[in-house]
Amino acid sequence: MTFSAHALGDVLAVESDPGGGFVPPGVGEFFPETLFGFSVLGIQFDIDRIILALWLATAVILVFLVMAARKAEIVPSRLQFVGESGYSLVRDGIARDVVGPKGLPFAPFLASLFFFILANNALAIIPGIQISPMARFSFPLVLALVCWVVYIAVGIKNQGLWPYFRDIMFLPGVPKAAYILVTPLELLQNFIVRPFTLAIRLFANLFAGHMLLVTFALGAVYLFQVGNFSAVFFPLSALMAIVMTFFELLIIFLQAYVFTMLMGTYLNGSVEAAH
Amino acid sequence: MDLLAQVTGSVGSIGYGIATIGPGIGVGLVWAAYIQATARQPESAGLTRTYAFLGFALAEALALIGFVAPLVYGT
Amino acid sequence: MSILAAESPNPLIPVVGEIIIGTIAFAVLLFVMWKFVAPGFERAYQARRAAIEGGIERAEAMQAEAKAALDQYRAQLAEARNEAAQIRDQARAEGQQILEELRVQAQEESARIVARGEEQIAAARQQVVNELRGQVGGLAVELAGRVVGESLADEARRQGTVDRFLDELDGMAAGSPDGRSGSTVAGGTR
Repeated sequence: MTFSAHALGDVLAVESDPGGGFVPPGVGEFFPETLFGFSVLGIQFDIDRIILALWLATAVILVFLVMAARKAEIVPSRLQFVGESGYSLVRDGIARDVVGPKGLPFAPFLASLFFFILANNALAIIPGIQISPMARFSFPLVLALVCWVVYIAVGIKNQGLWPYFRDIMFLPGVPKAAYILVTPLELLQNFIVRPFTLAIRLFANLFAGHMLLVTFALGAVYLFQVGNFSAVFFPLSALMAIVMTFFELLIIFLQAYVFTMLMGTYLNGSVEAAH
Repeated sequence: MDLLAQVTGSVGSIGYGIATIGPGIGVGLVWAAYIQATARQPESAGLTRTYAFLGFALAEALALIGFVAPLVYGT
Repeated sequence: MSILAAESPNPLIPVVGEIIIGTIAFAVLLFVMWKFVAPGFERAYQARRAAIEGGIERAEAMQAEAKAALDQYRAQLAEARNEAAQIRDQARAEGQQILEELRVQAQEESARIVARGEEQIAAARQQVVNELRGQVGGLAVELAGRVVGESLADEARRQGTVDRFLDELDGMAAGSPDGRSGSTVAGGTR
């Protein structure tokens, strides 16, 4: 089991002197020591700082949203304006425009997805935490599974059990012979690839983003302390760590938006009858 | 075991690098087409956005599969 | 070969505890969003739309009012124009009438003047006739006296004198504008 940054570290470690080589960040980054743990009904809950961060992010976004919406008025306050901008981005931009005319009831769900992902993603660059719970596969998986259940349930509810599966399995307008190829692909795509990619996309972006940040930051520290000519490259690595932080900022918003947008797209397929 | 040549380190990383080429081009094509369509007919932006995102997700799925493959199979 | 790989689990293997924790966290957010946040924002949107629509309605009402006023003004203006045209026509007709009356009056006047002139002329002629008649009488008497005094023997002479006189008279009458009246006078004298 390995991944790219780790491998790079291995190579570096082999090439430099074996004694005090660069120790690259590893997967262990994402599994800090358990602060406390308990067991309910045989299920082990290990609380580490990433889970605490998840709770913190959820609490902060909850407080923010409630504060923003509590006294919503015609002329918005500053807080309300910020909350409303995010909400209307999802409500108008995704629920109404992408899901369709019947999409407005899904606005709260989509907005929850958006704000939950955004808040948790944001932890990736907040100093002191700098790791997103979304880089732990379980959390994106939760969201993807929720989305999976929702868009299938909505599809069955709106189109009926058989028509929904029939339209997915036997795409209208496809030659009969092509069904041999199309039907398995469509089933795979709709029921396995979609939730899988939803989860993996979010996870991979945050995972790799964190690895990038850690690699450059640790690299800068290592180069600073290396004690030979390579020390001149230390500012480069430090600069890259900063640049990557801004890149992460972009990723944070983009991934939250893309996740919500794709969920909107899938919902659109479920809400509307066969295309 | 007789080895003629050996690659040490993570072959998975190389695999992922190769796996990103196709999706990279694919995602680029999807967005290029979307931008072109929007530039030619700005009022169609909302109409084609859904398909752009569907195509983007499909193309990117391959890159994501490439990303997890080394994690699944290990060294 | 990896240093950390041995002690770290595969990042792709989800942990059941984490899944439950994540589900609860998301469920809480979803619940709050569904119950409080979204209705709050929707209420604000509704209020804003109502305000905007109210403003639009007000603006529309004002526009309608302005349009009504404009129509009224237009109608009034058209009416006034109509009235002015009527008055103008009436005035023209009246002017025509006045002109006609004046013309009739002038004709009457001229007719009267002509009549008076004729009357005057007639009177003057009457006067002249009367005078002439008197003179003719006088002349006749004088003539008679002279005739008587001279000798009435010379018939021919007398005849000649009378004829000459009458010729003279005729000549006078021919000189006057009305020859007939002269001859009448002469005839009357005869």
